[in-house]
Amino acid sequence: MDRKQLEQWLAEEASGRDEAADAACAHLFTALPKVDPNPAFVEQAVTAALRWRTRRRRLVACAWAATILLVAVGVALVFLGAPRIATSVIKGFAFVSGRAVPWLLAYTTVAMSWWLTLGHVGGVIASALITPGRVVAVVGVELFGLLAFYALQRIAGAERLGDAQV
Amino acid sequence: MSVAQSDAELAKDALGGSEAAYRELVTRYATPAVNFIHRFTRDRALAEDLAQEGFLRVYQRLKTYDAERKFSSWFFQVLRNITIDYLRVNRLPTSSLDALEEEGHRAAVIDRESASPEQAAEQSELAVVMSAALAKIRPEYREVVVLRYQEGLTQPEIAEILGMPSGTVKTYLHRARKELAEILSESGWNTNV
Repeated sequence: MDRKQLEQWLAEEASGRDEAADAACAHLFTALPKVDPNPAFVEQAVTAALRWRTRRRRLVACAWAATILLVAVGVALVFLGAPRIATSVIKGFAFVSGRAVPWLLAYTTVAMSWWLTLGHVGGVIASALITPGRVVAVVGVELFGLLAFYALQRIAGAERLGDAQV
Repeated sequence: MSVAQSDAELAKDALGGSEAAYRELVTRYATPAVNFIHRFTRDRALAEDLAQEGFLRVYQRLKTYDAERKFSSWFFQVLRNITIDYLRVNRLPTSSLDALEEEGHRAAVIDRESASPEQAAEQSELAVVMSAALAKIRPEYREVVVLRYQEGLTQPEIAEILGMPSGTVKTYLHRARKELAEILSESGWNTNV
């Protein structure tokens, strides 16, 4: 890169000829010094990739082995213990449901009556408190809060991006 | 004599397990990768580390590479993402004059073999001035300038990498050159106007 190239580009830029300025600028940049990576760079990159590939292959092999083992164990259990397991499961289910269903029904009835009572009380309170003016005030405060929160997020986001140089 | 394989062919072979193909890809893109990142980090060692990370990520994601796309566009997109992620997390100091001077000295060393001492000194100074001007312009402008003029990519390729319309890239390039020219003119390098 020499002064002539630089001055030629600046002259093209000043004259407003966009394509010529583009070409002159490109020519100027080709002469800028380049940073050469260290001689071991390529080897390091290749080694890192190969290491990753080896690790991944091992991981995949382990995952396959574990899957096959699990399937084998599962199949063996089903073959060997299916009749016993099925009987126990059905018995257990019948026992639990026989005891739990009456209790469940009782609790649901109580909960429903409480729910209806609460609903009635809530309706009475709401009709006493809520007026159009109050509703407008509450909605207004909520909107203001949302806007403030949005503005804070935008400011925080802008600061984060400002830290980066790209 | 063997015909040089395209980047896409090498990527395909590398995906198929060819170590030689991957090595060739790394060899082709090592210098552009380090230079691209260096323009933003101003730190050679860091640029090399991030470039290493970039190559590994590229290797890990070779399956997702679409051979219809230009490899360099895809590659620089990966590099850009890595660089942006790093810069977002880490607050980096602005370009120090020492670093720029060091770059200028390296340029002088490179050029000294083929130039007189006066020419070498001038080239060194120009390299420092250009690097300093480049470091001063807006980051989004610097990005398109580096991709266009340093890496020699076309405007549509840059648009693909940056995910913006080609017209915007053109506008950015135009404005970036204007800003660079203004900075250099203010530094007293423009004797034409």
